[in-house]
Amino acid sequence: MMGTIAFENVSKTFSGQTEVRALDGINLAIGEGEFVALLGPSGCGKSTLLNLLAGFEKTSHGTLLFDGKTVTRPGPDRGVVFQEAALFPWLNVWQNVIFGPQVQGVSRSEYEKKAQNLLKLVGLEAFADALPVQLSGGMRQRVGIARVLAMSPKALLMDEPFGALDAQTRLSMQQLLLDVWQSLGTTVLFVTHDIDEAILLSDRICVMSARPGKIIRTIPITLQRPRSIASLTSAEFMAYKSRIMSDMKVSAAPH
Amino acid sequence: MSISTGPIASRSASSASTWSVLSPASRRSLRQLLLAVVLPVVVVALWQWAGNGGSLFGGVLPTPDRVWQAWKVWAFGASGLSLNPYSGTWLANLLFSAERVAKGFVVAIVVAVPVGLAIGWNRIASGALDPTVQLLRPIPITAWLPFSIAVFGIRDMGAVFLIALGAFYPIVVNTAQGARDIERNLVRAAMMMGAGRWTILRRVVLPASLPSIFTGLRIGLGIAWTAVIVAEMVAVKSGLGYVLWDAYYVGRMDVVIADMATIGLLGLVSDRVILLVERWVLAWRRLQSFQS
Repeated sequence: MMGTIAFENVSKTFSGQTEVRALDGINLAIGEGEFVALLGPSGCGKSTLLNLLAGFEKTSHGTLLFDGKTVTRPGPDRGVVFQEAALFPWLNVWQNVIFGPQVQGVSRSEYEKKAQNLLKLVGLEAFADALPVQLSGGMRQRVGIARVLAMSPKALLMDEPFGALDAQTRLSMQQLLLDVWQSLGTTVLFVTHDIDEAILLSDRICVMSARPGKIIRTIPITLQRPRSIASLTSAEFMAYKSRIMSDMKVSAAPH
Repeated sequence: MSISTGPIASRSASSASTWSVLSPASRRSLRQLLLAVVLPVVVVALWQWAGNGGSLFGGVLPTPDRVWQAWKVWAFGASGLSLNPYSGTWLANLLFSAERVAKGFVVAIVVAVPVGLAIGWNRIASGALDPTVQLLRPIPITAWLPFSIAVFGIRDMGAVFLIALGAFYPIVVNTAQGARDIERNLVRAAMMMGAGRWTILRRVVLPASLPSIFTGLRIGLGIAWTAVIVAEMVAVKSGLGYVLWDAYYVGRMDVVIADMATIGLLGLVSDRVILLVERWVLAWRRLQSFQS
């Protein structure tokens, strides 16, 4: 198992009437099994960075490697979890989860057991026949995670996956993700604008600034593993939080 | 008295006595039905009442009871060596028209859905096909009549061609729109899971476009009925359109109106059939709109 990621001086410019420099000189190396959070305000290019790695967009300059190979297009080795889940609304939960193995030509006997276990893992075994619209936002995101895990990706790319959920659901999803990551050890690149979420989940936080998007600081988080949402109130956690808030120049003063 | 008011009167009488035992849902649908029939009943009653000796406008327009009589003979009269050439030919003509519509409509779907998906999904296909479609689209099917007769002669093929052509445009335009408007992340999700272009087209773009496709089908079917009548009035010697024009020519306005009513009824029924198929195919979407 691998899942190493290397951004080497990567830039991304969106052409158009006015050129937008979304990312500028990004250098970021992520090792196998590492959990890295990209933290920053909206519009800082953190989703663009993730889209480049996913293969949805092409880099303008620089080298982007996944497991030592240049990223050219999307693929099942990099499972993407979208903010709004992006499930196929005409397929039920089960069909959504097995979509990946199915289109890759995996035989039914191979994926069936695994998909069943994944549904159990995310607590949706009773909802296999439900359509996405019949589920709550949190349940939809559980399906979004299960369908990605069904492909056994080497890395999980998560684009503010819990951003649209209410506070309580978000906590339970964070706990779920911690448990899943603890048992699978997959590399994770996690985009968020939530400081608490970044500290709780990651081994390392890359703080980004906007226009052009840059990584301005990297903060290793050495909170003990395995973690749980109980860590959110520890003194160590609070120390990280106040440091990051001052790094991001978050203050009560109006901008 | 007018024929149509009879059943309505008895229906409202029976509904009054059973009103309280009906569930709220069936009460609501019954009320809707009653509301819907008021206008047609009033029009038919006025039409009947305005008539004098079975017709109005100086004998040009027959009253509803005469139309009803004409239809009964047309539908159930003895066919063959009758004095009335229309006697007993209703069902046969209805089936002629319906079969042509079905054939033309199927041809339209088979061509328009793939072409529409290609236009909406692929930039090269869009550039290559869409301008031609848009160029030909303003030509009304009636303008294609001489062309159709010249090419296909006075035969079935001509009618099927006109129907297919007429239904093609709304289906292709709506399908393309549906494929174009697909949510970007659905396509990205499919690519991320390893789906190739064909798989995405078949398993993502097509289902996502189905709501628009059905919109196109319903509009296209309406045009198909217009096309079959036009074609049969000019380019074929059978069907409801042929009877319509023929009856007008020999001054049988009662048959003309019975024919018009038949066309309307068939159009309505076929539209309901599509609606039923749509409800079944797009069950996932009905839940969606119900929830939001």
